[in-house]
Amino acid sequence: MVREVSESCVESLLAEIVLSYCSGFYANKPELAARRIEAIGFQVGHQLSERYTMDRPRFTDNLDAIKFICKDFWSELFKKQIDNLKTNHRGTFVLQDNRFRWLAHMSVDPSVQASGNIQDPSAMAENKSAQATGMHLYFPCGIIRGALSNLGIECAVSADISNLPAFVNRTCTPPTLSFCYSCMTEAVLFTQLLSEKWLFQSAVSSF
Amino acid sequence: MIVCLAVVGHENNPLYIQSFTESDDALKLHHIVHCSLDVIDERVNNPKKSSPAINEAFLGLLYPTENYKVYGYLTNTKVKFILVTTDLDIRDADVRNFFRKFHAAYVDAVSNPFHIPGKKITSRTFGERVSSIVKPFGLNSAS
Repeated sequence: MVREVSESCVESLLAEIVLSYCSGFYANKPELAARRIEAIGFQVGHQLSERYTMDRPRFTDNLDAIKFICKDFWSELFKKQIDNLKTNHRGTFVLQDNRFRWLAHMSVDPSVQASGNIQDPSAMAENKSAQATGMHLYFPCGIIRGALSNLGIECAVSADISNLPAFVNRTCTPPTLSFCYSCMTEAVLFTQLLSEKWLFQSAVSSF
Repeated sequence: MIVCLAVVGHENNPLYIQSFTESDDALKLHHIVHCSLDVIDERVNNPKKSSPAINEAFLGLLYPTENYKVYGYLTNTKVKFILVTTDLDIRDADVRNFFRKFHAAYVDAVSNPFHIPGKKITSRTFGERVSSIVKPFGLNSAS
């Protein structure tokens, strides 16, 4: 039995989570808000991975699990697969999504950024937009981390916005943890998501 | 007839143990389940070259005792389902079918936002659903 959910409801819910945690519950503590949002995502990812691995044979190694995240998991969540997967074969994976669905309808208010500094306006605009959209990335990071941890891969996911329209999801394992499948003493897992250029260029070009 | 069903987490912590007999040897059944965990670990870590699919979830007959047969199933998330039955002429396909339905019920129970991962499953709906899967099990294979 497949149930359908309205996508706009999901997006409003996600926006509301970020809004209420950042401006409501933990108004002056963005770190705490980020951690709470990520923890919610962790539980969701945990449960989702349980459901989406149901009919599949067991994974043989980490690469298999990451490929599952890129293909099946991503298509269940976002109706598309990850566009590009890179690895440095030492535990770092970069997943590239050229049009991240949950940010696709997000725009940044240009009037907020014209606070009159000598700095390069486009860099400032990028900074503000990066800050604004950064909080929205903790939830998907948590989902990825939860899904991977349920499959037995401990990692930490963090989001990085390098420059609009790009943002980077980084997953890192803490240095003291060792994978049970390999003899690596330290492994770093990266996931990188890029959102599409044209969405943000309209905001940036108004300067 | 199924006498005992168990769900064991990835750290070998019990998530759900249910016996379906009226007699008092629940403890014996728990002990059987506990012993079968070792067999599962062995099967998974040392796959026999002759086994058809080392990546399959259904592990098959783990070990037969004098009265019981014990079947195992390992999910992708390292959760083990263990089934203890007294039926001696049960078909593999029936057990696979059973585990599939049980897995669906388990996934639904775990998706409950009030369920804490790693703790026991306390959902009454899950219990009812499991009994409804268990009941027709013996009847089908006895025919």
